[in-house]
Amino acid sequence: MRTKEEDLIKYKDGNLYCELADVWIDPSFPVKRALITHAHFDHFTFGCEEYIATKETAVLLEERIGDNININTFDYCEEFKINGISISFHPSGHILGSSQIRFIFAEEKWLISGDFKIQKDETCKQYEIVKTDYLISECTFGLPIFKWDETDKIANNISEWITNSPEKTSLLFCYSLGKAQRLLNEISQTNFKGDIYSHGSIYKINNCYKQLGIDIKETIKIENKNEIDKHKGNLVLLPPSLIKGTYLKNLKNIQTAFASGWMSIRALRKRSGYDKGFVISDHADWDGILEVVKKSEAKNIFFHHGDSESISKYLIEKESINVLFL
Amino acid sequence: MSLKKFSVLFEDLDSSNSTNNKIEILKTYFLSNKPIDNSWAIYLLTGKSNKRFVSGKYLKNLYSKIYKYPPWLIDTCYLKVGDSAEVITLLLKNENRANKKKLNNISLNYLLSETLPELSKLNEEDKNLVIKKIWETLPEENLLVFNKILTGTFRIGVSVGLITRSIAKLINIDEEIISHRLMGDFKPSIDSYNFLVNKNINLEELNSKPFPFLLANTFEEKIFKHSINDFQFEWKYDGIRIQLIKRSGNVSLWTRGQELVNESFPELVEKMSTIKDDFVLDGELLVWNFKEKIALDFTSLQKRINRKSPTRSIQIKYPIIFIAYDLLEINGSDIREIKLENRRIKLEKYFSKWQNRTDNNISDIFKICDLIYPKDWKDALIYKEKSRKNNTEGLIIKKKDSIYTSGRKKGIWWKYKVDPMQLDAILIYAKGGSGRRAGLYTDYSFALWKDQELIKFASAYSGLTDIEIKELDKWIRKNTIERFGPVRSLKPEMVFEISFDKIQISKRHKSGIAVRFPRITKWRKDKKIKDADRIENAYELMKIIS
Repeated sequence: MRTKEEDLIKYKDGNLYCELADVWIDPSFPVKRALITHAHFDHFTFGCEEYIATKETAVLLEERIGDNININTFDYCEEFKINGISISFHPSGHILGSSQIRFIFAEEKWLISGDFKIQKDETCKQYEIVKTDYLISECTFGLPIFKWDETDKIANNISEWITNSPEKTSLLFCYSLGKAQRLLNEISQTNFKGDIYSHGSIYKINNCYKQLGIDIKETIKIENKNEIDKHKGNLVLLPPSLIKGTYLKNLKNIQTAFASGWMSIRALRKRSGYDKGFVISDHADWDGILEVVKKSEAKNIFFHHGDSESISKYLIEKESINVLFL
Repeated sequence: MSLKKFSVLFEDLDSSNSTNNKIEILKTYFLSNKPIDNSWAIYLLTGKSNKRFVSGKYLKNLYSKIYKYPPWLIDTCYLKVGDSAEVITLLLKNENRANKKKLNNISLNYLLSETLPELSKLNEEDKNLVIKKIWETLPEENLLVFNKILTGTFRIGVSVGLITRSIAKLINIDEEIISHRLMGDFKPSIDSYNFLVNKNINLEELNSKPFPFLLANTFEEKIFKHSINDFQFEWKYDGIRIQLIKRSGNVSLWTRGQELVNESFPELVEKMSTIKDDFVLDGELLVWNFKEKIALDFTSLQKRINRKSPTRSIQIKYPIIFIAYDLLEINGSDIREIKLENRRIKLEKYFSKWQNRTDNNISDIFKICDLIYPKDWKDALIYKEKSRKNNTEGLIIKKKDSIYTSGRKKGIWWKYKVDPMQLDAILIYAKGGSGRRAGLYTDYSFALWKDQELIKFASAYSGLTDIEIKELDKWIRKNTIERFGPVRSLKPEMVFEISFDKIQISKRHKSGIAVRFPRITKWRKDKKIKDADRIENAYELMKIIS
C-alpha cells in the first residue's frame, strides 16, 4: 500500500504511523508510543516506552513481555486524545482484546481494521461495524477461494476425527493465543467428552483467558512429552512450531491435524506435513472482507497483509470503490 | 458405486500421510465393499480412467462465465492453489447452492460410461448446461472428486504401487503377481476384481516374476588397494534398468520399481519373443543413436517411458535398444549363484550370436554390454572422464567373483560417476510452482556475465531444501523488479552454484549454450554477484570436454 505524506495515517518504515499524534500502530521496532491492536507476536515488539491497548490486550502483553512495561489501557469505544487527535478501540473479533483503532481529526475519520473476523467466537467480543472515511484493512485471506464453513461444523468434524480413532492420540496444532481457546470452547460443545491436554504455551494463555472472565474448559498441562501417545482417544493441543524438529519423534499411534485458514488449500496441507487440516480461521474470509468494506462506508481504502493487489483490483472493477494502492 | 461413497474413500486416504495407514484404509475398504465397488475404486485410483473430458482452462472459463467472475481473478487463485479442479471446487463454495435439491447418489458407472463420454458429442452450450447442473446439484463434499474426474487429474498420493501392495496384503500374495494382473486394460466389473484377488496363481503369472535387483553402491576409495584384474568394467548408461524375462514363450519387461512396461516397448517384446531359449537378462534400456553408437539423452527416453502403445512413427523417431549386462537364468536354471565372470561367459555364449547376425532383426534392438579394460586404476580414471563424450555417466565396476544377490549389497558393484560441471550463476527470474509447490516461487532462472550484461543460461527447480525454498520465496517477493504473469524478474543479488552433467552449443538459447540436468547444489550467500561466473567460463568447460 502507498500512503501520501499529508495522510493522517501513513506507511513509514514498513509500519503504520500517525505523525500528528506521534503514535505507531503495532510497530515492529521499539518506539516512544505504540498502539497495540492485539497480543500476537507479530503485532508488538519489546522495548517501547509506552504501550496503549485494551485492558484484555494489556493482560496478555504483560504475560508475554513481562509486567514491568509502561502500559495504558482503555475500554472499547472509550475516546481518548493525543495531541488533539481523537482515538478509540473497537472490537475486531480476532482474539480476546483485539481491536480496530479509529482516529478522528478535523472531522476526518480513519479506521485501522487490525486483524479481524466476522465469524462467531464466544471467547472474544463480536466484530463491531465502525463507519469511516478511510479504511486500512488487512486482507490475509483476500481471495475468493477462501470461504469459511460455520464454526460448529468444523468443531463437529474435529470431534469425529478424534472419536473415530480411539486407538490413537489426536494432536491438534493451533496458535497458542486465540485459536486454541476458541477451539477449546467449541470442542467442549461437541460429542467429544474425553480429556484435553495442552502444551505449556497454550496452558499459560488459557489461564489468562480465565483470569479475564472467559469460561473455557479445563485442560491438563503436558508434563512429560514422551507420554503424549499414551492418551489414547484423547485430544492434545500443541503450537504449530512443534510439527518440525524432534518433538514428535518416537511417538507412536498418533494422528496430527492443523487448524488454520490456510488448510483450505490441499497443496499447503500436504506440504506442511500434517495428516489432516481443519479450515478454521481468526481472520475474515473473502466475503467477510467485502462485507466490512461495504458496511464501513469508507470512500478510500488501503489493504495490507496478503494479496492486496487482487482484492483492490476486484473492488475497483466490480464495485467502483476507490482503492488506493501501488 | 456412488460418487458419494468414493468421495469418502478419497477423503480418508487424503487425511493421512502414512503409507501403512493408507494400505490399512484400502484393505478395510476392499473387505467391506462389494467387488463391483472395489473394482471402481481401483479403476479410479490407479489412473486407468485418466481421460480428460474437459480441460482445466475450459472449466475456469465456464465458471467465470456462469458466475460472473473476472478470469484474471480465477487465474490468481490458481497460482495459490495449483490445480484447476480444486480452484473451481473452492470457488463453488461461494455460490448459493443451498436451495437446490441435492443429488446424493450419482453412480460412478453412469457418470463415467454415460454422462461424461456424452459431453464430447454436445455443442458448447449444452455441454455447459450439463456441467452447471451437476455443479448445482452435487453435495459439496463430492465436488472435488467430480471436478478431478472431469479434468482427468486424478492423482491423490495413492500410487499404483500402493494399490498393488494393498491387494497383495489383502490376499497374501506377492506384489509382482498383482502388478502383473493389474497390467493392461482394466474395465471395472465384478469379474475384473475377482481376477485381481484370486488366491490361485496360474503358471503364466509365476513365469513373469522378476528376481530382486542387485544395486550398485557409491564408489569407495578402498577398492584401489585391490588388483584391477579382480574387476569387470562397464560404461554406466543413463537409461532405465530392466529385467528382461522370457519364460515359456512370454516376454515381460520389469523396471526396478516393480513396474511391468511391456506396453511402452512393444517392439522389444515382439523381437525378443523370436529367440528360442528361455532366459532372464539384466540390463539397461536406452534410446540409441545407431549411427554414432551412443545413447541419446534421457529426455528422448522420457518420450518413450510414459507412453503406452507408442505409434510406429514414435518407435522410429526414438529407437530403443536393450543392452544386456548380466544373465540370471537360462532355460529354466537359476544361475545367480555362479560367479559373475562365469555368468558373463554364458551371456556371450547364448547371446553374442544374436547381435552379430544380419539375418535376424534382433541386432537392431539388442546388444551385449561392451566391457572396458583399464590397465590400472589411473587408466580407469581416464576412462571415467571419457564418459562425457559417449553420453554415459561414468563407470560401473563389478567384482568378478561375486554372485548376484539382491539389494544394495556392499562390496559387489560400484558406480564410479564422473563429477558434475559447475558454474556460479545469478538468480534473475522466478516462477510459481504448481501442484505441491503451489503458492511458492520454486522455478528459477540463472544468468552468467557477458561483458557488463547478464545472460540467462539455465533454469533449475531442484536442489534447495524446503526451508531454503521458503526463505528464497520471501526474498523473491521483496526483490521483484517486474512481473510478467506468473514470472517475476528479480534484483540480481543472489548467487547459486549450478551443477550439470553436460554442456553443448545450442542455437536455440540466447546464451549459445545448453546444459543437461541443471540443478542447484549450493546457495552461495558468501558470494557477491561480481564473483559469479562469466559466459567465457562456460565456453571453457566445453573445450575441456570436446
